[in-house]
Amino acid sequence: MSEYIERFRTSERVLHWVVTASFFTLLLTGLGLYSRLFHGYFGLFGGGMNAIFIHKISGVIFFFSSIYMYLNHKKDVSSFDEDDKLWIDKSGGYLSRDASHFNIGKYNPGQKLFALCIAAATAVLGVTGVIAWLPLYFPRFIVQVSLMMHSLFFIGSIMFVVVHVYLATIGNPGTIEAMLYGNVRKIWAKKHHPKWYKETTEPQ
Amino acid sequence: MADTVNQATRKGFLVDTSRCIGCRSCQVACKQWNKLEADKTANKGTFENPRDLTPALYNRIKFIEKETDGAISWQFFNERCMHCGDAGCMKVCPSPGALSRTSDGIVVFNKDKCISCKYCVSACPFNIPRYGADDKVSKCHLCTDRINGGMTPACAKACPTETLKYGRRSELIAKATAAKKTLYGVDDLMGLGVVYALEGPPEQYGLPARPSIPLSIFLWKDVIKPLGILGFWSSIGAMLLHYVTIGPKKVDDDLDSREDGHE
Repeated sequence: MSEYIERFRTSERVLHWVVTASFFTLLLTGLGLYSRLFHGYFGLFGGGMNAIFIHKISGVIFFFSSIYMYLNHKKDVSSFDEDDKLWIDKSGGYLSRDASHFNIGKYNPGQKLFALCIAAATAVLGVTGVIAWLPLYFPRFIVQVSLMMHSLFFIGSIMFVVVHVYLATIGNPGTIEAMLYGNVRKIWAKKHHPKWYKETTEPQ
Repeated sequence: MADTVNQATRKGFLVDTSRCIGCRSCQVACKQWNKLEADKTANKGTFENPRDLTPALYNRIKFIEKETDGAISWQFFNERCMHCGDAGCMKVCPSPGALSRTSDGIVVFNKDKCISCKYCVSACPFNIPRYGADDKVSKCHLCTDRINGGMTPACAKACPTETLKYGRRSELIAKATAAKKTLYGVDDLMGLGVVYALEGPPEQYGLPARPSIPLSIFLWKDVIKPLGILGFWSSIGAMLLHYVTIGPKKVDDDLDSREDGHE
């Protein structure tokens, strides 16, 4: 019997990396717009006007791929059960070295929260982005608030992404495989997502 | 790249609205000197023309028309870039050199450096910058090219009533104060480069009583931006700290470690 089970299908993985690629393109093209401190990043794209153009293109790609990804996982990430509450009470065991065991389904509450926050941020960044894109077609007050919200939700997103990348790589060894090859080791699944492991391996 | 203005040597305008006769010589002289195209306008039943600043109109006379018992009374107001001491446009501009301050304290623009983000349009307390077909910023630059050549800005030169007086800002203010004028823009936004002697409350001229950088723009650039950079590095620091204190959740902790050879 194989040591691995499938966690993410090929289409799910490709979608995730489309979202990732467009996110980091947005980050690099947007830094120069965020502050003159990061003006040098415009150089990566051959100047500010090119960076803004690429920011708009990748913004459209990010918006639709991120919203689509959320809709695909909406059912899994928007409901919290009793076991999730135990996980939340103990912060998922991340604040202690002691071994912890939670009966978690496909996603733990932290992952669900991340998905919901990124979906919300995508919506806000998308709407405020379009307004900042066409500032002459909206009332000045709306554009001013949009520019502020755009930076606020960007900051929220990038901080969440830092945590997401940490937990999916060095924070939880073995996790990244799910997003690379699609398969995870069974012992990984038993440790992190026992309820999901049971559901997928036991005959219905 | 802090925007600082030397209050002692700063140049500017004193606009005494009580002297203005609404002849619009300033509009015409500006267009002529700056080689700006005429804008096609429509008659909307007022002598005010054009009704708003455009990419080809850096200053204009705003007509405040009041009708009392069938008689019309006019007030005239020269609308233009105020060359704020604390300029919202410069605060938000992401492209160094697109908007800059001269040694005379004048806020000028450079279309070659402008990247068409239009942040200045949103950040201006007076809604002055305009974008035209070239998608680049345009606004009054106080005829810096004339000033550098030792001349008076075109509008002030053409003004037949000395409504527009150009000179050292502190001297203009001192003279107007001695003449007991009520001044607008002396201290707001680190002092406006264009100070007005108004004949009524600022609101009557469509001016904010206390002009300031729009609140969301202030929060964006002075609060969220610095705190955001701090927040980003804090999250990186927190993850590293977590790794070296509590550490990763290793799968093999619970089981006999086996060599898988898949990496």
